[in-house]
Amino acid sequence: MKVIGVVPAFKEETRIVNVLRAYLAYFDEIVVVDDGSSDRTAEVARMERVHVLRHAINRGQGASLRTGTLAALKLGADVIVHVDADGQHDPKDLPNLIKPILEGQADVVLGSRFLGVEATGMPLLRRCVLKAGRWFNILALGIPKKVTDPQNGLRAMTAEAARRIDFHQDGKAHASEILRCVTRSGLRWVEIPAHIIYTQDSLNKAGTNRTSDAFRIAWHLFIGVFTK
Amino acid sequence: MLIQILLVLGFVLALWITWKRYRQDVITLIEALGWSVLCVGGGVISLLPKLTEYLAAIFGVGRGVDLILYAAVAIQFFLIFKLFVSHEKTERLLTKLVQNGALKDLSFRPEEQERWSGEILVNQDSSTRHTPSE
Repeated sequence: MKVIGVVPAFKEETRIVNVLRAYLAYFDEIVVVDDGSSDRTAEVARMERVHVLRHAINRGQGASLRTGTLAALKLGADVIVHVDADGQHDPKDLPNLIKPILEGQADVVLGSRFLGVEATGMPLLRRCVLKAGRWFNILALGIPKKVTDPQNGLRAMTAEAARRIDFHQDGKAHASEILRCVTRSGLRWVEIPAHIIYTQDSLNKAGTNRTSDAFRIAWHLFIGVFTK
Repeated sequence: MLIQILLVLGFVLALWITWKRYRQDVITLIEALGWSVLCVGGGVISLLPKLTEYLAAIFGVGRGVDLILYAAVAIQFFLIFKLFVSHEKTERLLTKLVQNGALKDLSFRPEEQERWSGEILVNQDSSTRHTPSE
């Protein structure tokens, strides 16, 4: 089975090389989508043995994932894995992430920070926002309570599942939209524990005001309902 | 009253522009009719302000002016919401364009062919470049 990793990247010039080298051991191919970065992200990534696509302008993480997923399908992927470019995902989790798909037990595998593996350096405020986000997903979007970490960007899916998951959110709301598609489409899904590593660098990069992000996600999901 | 004349002239102008835009295919018939109802309604209320008192009584609002204010706020909310939805649609179209551009880069880059031989077929003649089916 051909496993292709999709790595959306925005202004990751300083981190992406190490991240890609760590991921290369686990994937047959990697598609990096530079989301219109103003730094040398694409240039640096091209030095590694990966496909690099570039958005002419910044369109958001969801848009980059969609571009990368389409590229992976075009490259003949059997399994597509979404991973972050900032090094927050632990590459050691990747075999466990892909395993249920390779064994035919699931179509989609989702990483979770809240299944026993303690995240390294997660701020308390982040934890609270993620918990609140989970309840928002349950109450507003009807995502099953079994999903413990709706905003986790680590996920793997079969090519068939990737074709069926029709998501349109360009920004951070894509995670909730993907979950809604997955849990309502009859696809077999499972969550596995994932180790997330927060460093000062990655936290600074992600922005300091995560609470406003939560409101923005809710707003985009609301507007998205009327934009089909 | 001068204000009545100005308001009626304003609504007539708005009505004329609405149907001009409809003829130019800028707006749909439904949109033209919706705007026309608003314009005619506004014109009638400008000429017969007492009418709002009766309407206010029907809706249980104290004064006619209050009814107009409430209606104006509701209509503006609706229009702003429509603008947001329209903006979101434009954003998605823009994303699609950007994505298509990025994906072309994947299909036709010669160095990719060397690196991933067999995955992407690029003919030497650029006019017959193609990719294999998925």
